[in-house]
Amino acid sequence: MRRFTMRLRTAFAGLPPARGLLPLVLLLAAWQLLQSGPSPYFPAPSQWWTAALALLDRQHLAAAFGATALTFLAGLGLAIAIGTALGVLVGLSDRAARALAPLLEFMRAIPPPVTVPVAALLIGYNERMKLTVVVLSALWPVLLNASAAVRQIDPLLLDVARSFRLGPAARLSRVILPAIVPSLLTGIRVAIPLAIVVTLLVEMLTSLPGIGANLSVLGDAGSALDLGAASKAALPTGKALRFGASSVSPTQSSRIFATGRV
Amino acid sequence: MPDVGRFLARANWPGLCTIALGFLLWELLLRAGLAHYQNLPPPSAIAGGLLEITRNGQLLADALHTLRVVLVGWAAALVIGVASGLVLGVSATLRNYSLASIEVLRPMPGIAFAPVALLLFGFSLQMELMVVVLPALWPVLINTMGAVAGVHARLFDVGRTFRLSGAEILRKVMLPAALPGVLVGARLSLTLALVLAVVAEMVGNPAGLGYAVVREQQAMRPDLLFAYVVAIGALGVGLNAALTGAVAWLFPAAAGRLREAA
Repeated sequence: MRRFTMRLRTAFAGLPPARGLLPLVLLLAAWQLLQSGPSPYFPAPSQWWTAALALLDRQHLAAAFGATALTFLAGLGLAIAIGTALGVLVGLSDRAARALAPLLEFMRAIPPPVTVPVAALLIGYNERMKLTVVVLSALWPVLLNASAAVRQIDPLLLDVARSFRLGPAARLSRVILPAIVPSLLTGIRVAIPLAIVVTLLVEMLTSLPGIGANLSVLGDAGSALDLGAASKAALPTGKALRFGASSVSPTQSSRIFATGRV
Repeated sequence: MPDVGRFLARANWPGLCTIALGFLLWELLLRAGLAHYQNLPPPSAIAGGLLEITRNGQLLADALHTLRVVLVGWAAALVIGVASGLVLGVSATLRNYSLASIEVLRPMPGIAFAPVALLLFGFSLQMELMVVVLPALWPVLINTMGAVAGVHARLFDVGRTFRLSGAEILRKVMLPAALPGVLVGARLSLTLALVLAVVAEMVGNPAGLGYAVVREQQAMRPDLLFAYVVAIGALGVGLNAALTGAVAWLFPAAAGRLREAA
């Protein structure tokens, strides 16, 4: 228990001081006070809560949240697995890295949303397509970080592994993977918001079930009230995940937080 | 013509060959009927599509629209981001009292604002700009703030010793020190601005490259769809190259760090 609280404290140590929330609170308070009547465009914050409750009552939000979370988690997991595997392969061979570099650069330059119509044409409107698009977009940061990290491993480490006659499997699990974990975490931290955004976007574009589909349905219906609630629901996911990532590896992640870059 | 010779020698031939081989394989598999996808066009058809939209001027019109949104949105994000980044970088108090708010707002997916922007502005350029500017702002703001906050206190002391005025300290001490951070932020935000502009066009304003992709998907013209995807990728690579080139030309000293940060 004590260890847990200590971990909790180190996890929070990298975050900015809570008094920095003041401007946001003031903004929301001003919004609440200045918004006298019901407005179709800028509903007062107090109404967001009732709107969110109404969504919950209709079992709407929960189901949508579940669908979005499932796609997001599955997509992220697949992207991490595929990205790490490909990244290690590309990183281990200079020739492969050079041969694949332009292709990977170009694939990365294509904005993920653009792959939605392509995937829809090739795969059709289903869960598999949703997952494909999420994986294709979240893959790159993981892959590039993994391959760069593998290339930066001290050659001495690989030599030591060779003198101990470690097989390929042992070399991978004992030398390469531990060495690339920090970079991999950075890549995953970039991939997480990307995967969330792309999941929402696929749902918005295709109306496959999820929060994103709710957003565009509600937006089309002109109900900014529900819209506010639904877009707020997207936010805690990201926060929770960031917190989860920071409790996995406190020292690493606080360094990553400190750089403050997405 | 020594430049051409050097360029030819430096080009990544294995990488370009990989791409060419990939296209050849794709073409042959489809021609031979070994791979069967109903809506996957062979590369030759995509090239034909590219030629078609270049000839009838559609590509140029769409690309110019998207480019305008990207550049205007990026410029706005730069101005707002650098200004607020400077202020937050200089004042630790202000930073303490706002950083947490920024960290809460920053992970809000920009795309979630698209329906709100659509409600507010309808199908218009403003709608696209609202979707582009807010998310593209964060990398500039965070990096500028970090760079200014990281300026060694002694530099300010030196400035004061020379009796520089506030404006001179800003121009001669802070801006040069912040430049590398600003450039890194500017590059990240340019990539982001392109993605967001395309997204805004896909879900909102029916114009530009983003809408073209959706339009060709619905018209069941996969050859034109792929042609537009290639064009968007090329625009991304081109914008990035243009920025890197401009930075290397204008600020040779800062260019090295920018390349590292990529």
